[in-house]
Amino acid sequence: MSVESYLEDRLDRDVDGEKLTAILVFMLPGLTLFAIFSVGPMVYSAVGSFFTWNGFDIGQFAGFETWVATFQDDAIINWSNLRALEYPMGALPQNLIWMLVHVPLSTLLGLGLALLFADLRGRSVLRSMVFLAFTTPTVVIGLVLLFVYDPQAGIFNELLRALGLEGQVRNWVQEPQIAIYALIAGGVWVQTGFSMLLYSSALAGIDPALLESARVDGAGRFRRFKDIIWPLVKPVTAVVVIMSMIWVIRIFAIVYAAGGPSGGPGGVFSVLGLEVYQAAFSTPIEYSKAMVVALIELVIALPMAWYIASMD
Amino acid sequence: MTDTHHSDDSTDAEPDTDRDSDADTDLSTDGGRVYHEPPETAPTADRSPVERVRAAVPSGPRALRYAVAIGVALLWLVPLIGLFMASVRPLDQVIQGWWSFEGMTITFENYARAWEFQSGPMRQAMWNTAIVTIPSVLAVTLLGTMVAYPFARFDFPLKTALFFLLIVVMAAPPELVAMGNYNTLRTTGLFDTYMGLILVHIGWGMGWVVMFLRNFLLGLPEELEEAARIDGASRYQIFKSIVLPYSAPALVSVAVIQFTWVWNSFFFPLVFMRSRENQLAPQVLPLMKGRLQIDWGLVAAGSVLTMIVPIVLFVTLQRYYKQGMVAAVAD
Repeated sequence: MSVESYLEDRLDRDVDGEKLTAILVFMLPGLTLFAIFSVGPMVYSAVGSFFTWNGFDIGQFAGFETWVATFQDDAIINWSNLRALEYPMGALPQNLIWMLVHVPLSTLLGLGLALLFADLRGRSVLRSMVFLAFTTPTVVIGLVLLFVYDPQAGIFNELLRALGLEGQVRNWVQEPQIAIYALIAGGVWVQTGFSMLLYSSALAGIDPALLESARVDGAGRFRRFKDIIWPLVKPVTAVVVIMSMIWVIRIFAIVYAAGGPSGGPGGVFSVLGLEVYQAAFSTPIEYSKAMVVALIELVIALPMAWYIASMD
Repeated sequence: MTDTHHSDDSTDAEPDTDRDSDADTDLSTDGGRVYHEPPETAPTADRSPVERVRAAVPSGPRALRYAVAIGVALLWLVPLIGLFMASVRPLDQVIQGWWSFEGMTITFENYARAWEFQSGPMRQAMWNTAIVTIPSVLAVTLLGTMVAYPFARFDFPLKTALFFLLIVVMAAPPELVAMGNYNTLRTTGLFDTYMGLILVHIGWGMGWVVMFLRNFLLGLPEELEEAARIDGASRYQIFKSIVLPYSAPALVSVAVIQFTWVWNSFFFPLVFMRSRENQLAPQVLPLMKGRLQIDWGLVAAGSVLTMIVPIVLFVTLQRYYKQGMVAAVAD
């Protein structure tokens, strides 16, 4: 090995060394906190779900014991009620029902409002009015829903009275078989603003001249939507749907504020997040159950997040 | 989807609004935008103000669309308007219905009671929320940029693994890290302290902040940094004097969105802040419900106090908020 090539080699490695040091200096502080407070606790939960726990202390290896027990737990899945399609069905089916109803509704409403506001003057103000609920704390949303559905002071029941449906007046969040839909309506109210915002920015990218020439060529409203608008907003739809699903699977504060930590009378609108909280932080403390339920949430959300990340 | 910065908001849409008003004045009957060639000669006489107003007011189907749009937007606000009304009226009037304006009186007593609420005065709770939110937002923005910069520019070992971890954390529910963090904070003595909650928020926010800024930096041209490098600037100087200033708009977006999320967050404070004097504002609100008859005035006043901060922030910085929201999920 010649002296020059040796020197060059050293030089290269020094450059790399300098670069590596810089990378470490940049990344270490942030990644340390990320590791301690995000990645670490996740691994902790993943491992801990296979152990028994004495309060907050880890015990014996238990294999899938807690996993099996969780799927037989009435609070998570109430199999007999599920077969009868009666609430409470358990937090997992209820959370999935929430998803099934909430996501399509908020997505369609968001698209509808985005199209409605698209070329109006003052659309920015209109959009902000619809979006405002999304920026308020979710716990406030839950309390607002309680207020809206109150038999006396609630405007929803006043609306029923005005429509002559006095017999229907009730406290909607206390009705076991209906309460969940009353809350879902609130979720849709909040999230529509979000999907509208995403759709609006996609619509802003559409050349108005294209729409105009299609109109001149005699394309009707539906044709213009199907052939011009839809292909351009289709990728946004995937994002909107997935973000809404992730939002719903994590839903916590709205339900907590409306029905306390138990999720309404008999847990009729309990969701997975509430079950984690109950299991981990109210007596009796069941850390392994909490970990299993939280992992179920992750298992549902992860493929969707992965899909978004691979969309670039 | 990439040119999210062209999204039309009130603040940056001046040429846009011009075009719109043109469309409305010249084509008074029905909507859609029509582009008119500029006339060869200047108009000989200006139209009278009455004429102009008449032309600017849309008619027919377009007027109907305006009516529907305004109606829907107002409908969306009704629950929040109700909340506000309840907060400024005495309880008996709220129970009668906040929408009836007969004999309406306005009182600030609800606010005074919420401010001094026994099981968690808002005076203290708002202050606590600010103490937790401001440092954790500033820290996560700075530390997040520092992580995102090498992540977007250099190759290093385990880069793919880091990418994977960031996505997992973005997808994970906050409940998943509650148990581990609870035990960590207990053993370090940071449980039920400002610092403990701040650290949890920084660690948790890192996931989306790094991903967001990485995507932003990938779209930033590298030439400037290379030029500075040739001129002998160190990597730290480049970061400080080129990367940071050029990412300023993205940093504001991150800070605004993160501020709203941390301020509004309910689960982490509920788990990690236990004592009465350390409670955050969102935590106090469910306590205001009481046992039997809900004291709507108190709940509403507390809610308005809590939400006023993120709403003011949103209204003043909505351009950054909306751009960030769109970019965060669209990339």
